[in-house]
Amino acid sequence: MKKKLYILFAVLITSFTACQKLDVPPVNIIQDKDIFGTEAGISAYMSRIYITMPIEDFKYHPAGGFNQNAQVGSAAAVTGEASSRDTGNATETFNYWSAAYTLIRDCNYFMETLPAYASNYKPEQIKNWIAEARFIRAFTYFALVKRYGGVPIVDKLLTSPGQTISELASEIEELRIPRAAEEAVYDFIATDCDQAFADLPETNKMGRANKYAAAALKSRAMLFAGTIAKYNTINLTSGNVRLCGIPSSKATTYFQAAYDAANLLTGKYSLYKNKWVAGDKAAQYNNFVNLFTDQTASNTEAIFVRQYKFPDAVHSYDALSVPKQLEGPQGNYSSEVLPTLNFVEMFEGFPKNPDGTIQVLDGTGKYIMFNNTTDLFANAEPRLRATVILPGDAFKGIPIEVRRGVYTGSSAGGLSKILPANSTAAYPATVLGSATVAANLDATNLVTISNGSKITRAGQSGVFTAIGVNATGGTFTGFYVRKYLNPDKATAETIPGRSEQQWMELRYGEVLLNKAEAAYELGGTYATEALTIINQIRDRAGATPYVAINTANDIRMERRRELAFENKTIWDMKRWRIADAEQSNTIYRALLPIMVADQSKYIMDSRFEERSVQFTFQVRWYYQQIPTAAIAKSLNLVQNPGW
Amino acid sequence: MKKRIIYYIAICLATLSASSCSKFDNYDAPDQTLKGTVTDVNTGKAVQTEVTGDNTAGTRIKIIELSWSPTATPQFLASFQDGTYINTKIFAGTYRMTVEGAFVPLVQTTPVVDNGKTVEVRGGTTTVDFAVEPFLRVEWVGEPVLNANGTVTATYKITRGTANPLFQQNITDAYLFANGTKYVGNNNFMLAWSTKTTYAGNAANALLGTNQTITTPVLPKTREVYLRIGARIAFGANIYNYNEVKMITVP
Repeated sequence: MKKKLYILFAVLITSFTACQKLDVPPVNIIQDKDIFGTEAGISAYMSRIYITMPIEDFKYHPAGGFNQNAQVGSAAAVTGEASSRDTGNATETFNYWSAAYTLIRDCNYFMETLPAYASNYKPEQIKNWIAEARFIRAFTYFALVKRYGGVPIVDKLLTSPGQTISELASEIEELRIPRAAEEAVYDFIATDCDQAFADLPETNKMGRANKYAAAALKSRAMLFAGTIAKYNTINLTSGNVRLCGIPSSKATTYFQAAYDAANLLTGKYSLYKNKWVAGDKAAQYNNFVNLFTDQTASNTEAIFVRQYKFPDAVHSYDALSVPKQLEGPQGNYSSEVLPTLNFVEMFEGFPKNPDGTIQVLDGTGKYIMFNNTTDLFANAEPRLRATVILPGDAFKGIPIEVRRGVYTGSSAGGLSKILPANSTAAYPATVLGSATVAANLDATNLVTISNGSKITRAGQSGVFTAIGVNATGGTFTGFYVRKYLNPDKATAETIPGRSEQQWMELRYGEVLLNKAEAAYELGGTYATEALTIINQIRDRAGATPYVAINTANDIRMERRRELAFENKTIWDMKRWRIADAEQSNTIYRALLPIMVADQSKYIMDSRFEERSVQFTFQVRWYYQQIPTAAIAKSLNLVQNPGW
Repeated sequence: MKKRIIYYIAICLATLSASSCSKFDNYDAPDQTLKGTVTDVNTGKAVQTEVTGDNTAGTRIKIIELSWSPTATPQFLASFQDGTYINTKIFAGTYRMTVEGAFVPLVQTTPVVDNGKTVEVRGGTTTVDFAVEPFLRVEWVGEPVLNANGTVTATYKITRGTANPLFQQNITDAYLFANGTKYVGNNNFMLAWSTKTTYAGNAANALLGTNQTITTPVLPKTREVYLRIGARIAFGANIYNYNEVKMITVP
């Protein structure tokens, strides 16, 4: 019996010793299995790579970068479509490079790690998720190639977690991947988009990519590649690899690819026309406004959006962009996006001179007198009114008062130009007086006009004469942006970090414009299709249809009108290689309403912006500087020309 | 007790004063002077340019210090607007030098051309001149004339500076730049005093070698105005070639 007990004792001792493993993963650090093992973990990973996508939305600024919460200024102000007191003549300076490769690694890590957890999910889910990561990777490479030309292609994990420093150091030369050809990067994007299109679902949650997002991205990227092949003249070759520029022989291939990719969306999406009524300008205006504010599934134009929701994910577009009159309680944030007269003149529906500029003088060279500042634009194209707040137009039910000053001289026999045409001089203070914000608030500074009323020198939303950086706001071009502004936002909530309208990164309107441009560039049998598509866009906009497309410029102008303030124009100007010719010591123009005291009527003076800020696009900006920090880490990276 | 505190203080002071007192930078200071002129290979005259930093708006000298690595980060030296350059704070060393501007590039990829120079910078002053073929030669014809209405009319002539057809792109514009200081060019001028003539397509080819006139807007009175004419072709960074600066007094 005792012997049995001894044996039992020995068995127990030997079997229970050392069964407690000491080498356990730290429980306070999230492991791959926590992330990749559950759907919630996958969602968390996804949400992080989606939010770091290089989308040029409300929170993008060429000086600050992506996801800037309180960056003042406007990305549109580098293109000439708008002016902003806080954005000057510059190219991007924030070096989108290491953040891009971090995101690419995140995508690669996801794609390589998820299959190990395949048993937890349906095969369809695995396929969809990997395709989403692939879409984001393609999007990121596109953000790189449009900035730098050819960049190193990293399509797999280069290092794995847990590698020691000495292991990494021993293979450092292999990690210094040289730049690939610009063409190769576009081809890589095309391959990723094709694969994503095949693997992504027909529909997905709002804010996540479905298969048509991949097709739309492909049409955008291929159109870029085609135009660069056709219009670029810059060449940088290292070894036999052309880092900047694409052989012109490839243009047709890329335009065809852009056309075919855009075609994949036919019948799946349509131009938003929920409120649209033929021949009804007011309805067409409302329709175009709603296109950007309708966040429901009935928005048939939204392909891929970035969502915002207070208080966790917010932006500041309303606070930064509203007219001065509707400025929120924190003050001095309004008026950052002011469309220029040059932009407004791209539209139709108001009298123009033979050279396309707005007509504000009569046949004898005297100013035309208007009862109201709105008269000149009474018949303006509905899309213009939905894109720009014209002087005197109502926003949130309040007429936006814009007046540069009160002309107190005599206007007997008509009034000739106050300053010579193309003058950059200041208005004579003797006739217009001081129009600072302070002067406007000064009750003793009122002017009595001929109809007996007493008015301030400047309108409540400008134009003020103090228009430097960090000034108090107010328009100095005569206009305010309208597109994307929330018309229902209470003034008390018009403060930074309170806006939550979604950003449409890919919309069907752009896809149609991609298709039309590719069709035009392909020519031949495609040419008539380009005209048909452009006229669909113009019809929705409430503009008169084109009779023919005579030059590429007709298509380009339509694109600039339709996609204005969506942060697409600067890249279009770059890929068409027209930016340096368009911006060569260029000063943009303003349309300033001035009250004539002895008639109680307005004149509208078109002139150079009073700030006289000049814009010159340097040719070397077509290919931005590879960050010197990246070259310092890898001498295999060849710098772009001119840097 | 008091003595102990004194000891402590003494030790602290000793430690403080003895630490890190022997470190000094034993590398020679950048005491070399590097200078030179960029001249037109055919006329021997200096190639006029605009004042530039390390951007590509005018002539810049590119130097790479070879003793560290053949692909070291290049440094750029700015040039004066008369085509000369000087830098008195260069480290002694061996440099690969080339120059970039509105002339036929000294380094080309297709076909491969490399007319850069390897220069030993040591022992005081090193002079390195470059002879280049400017894209365009812009010359004054006579002096600018002050008109009765307060404008200034200048006569000039443009010729091609190179016979190489690869660098004979169309002339896009000729610009009479005016400024209130002697530093005048595309980066530094008064827009309201200056006049630009734009050429479409190859329209300017017919004007090559002939006398052209260009007139400023009305200039403000009682001041000295500095003038020069820039013209450029659609190549590379679209840099202007210039003639010499001239001053005219507007009474």
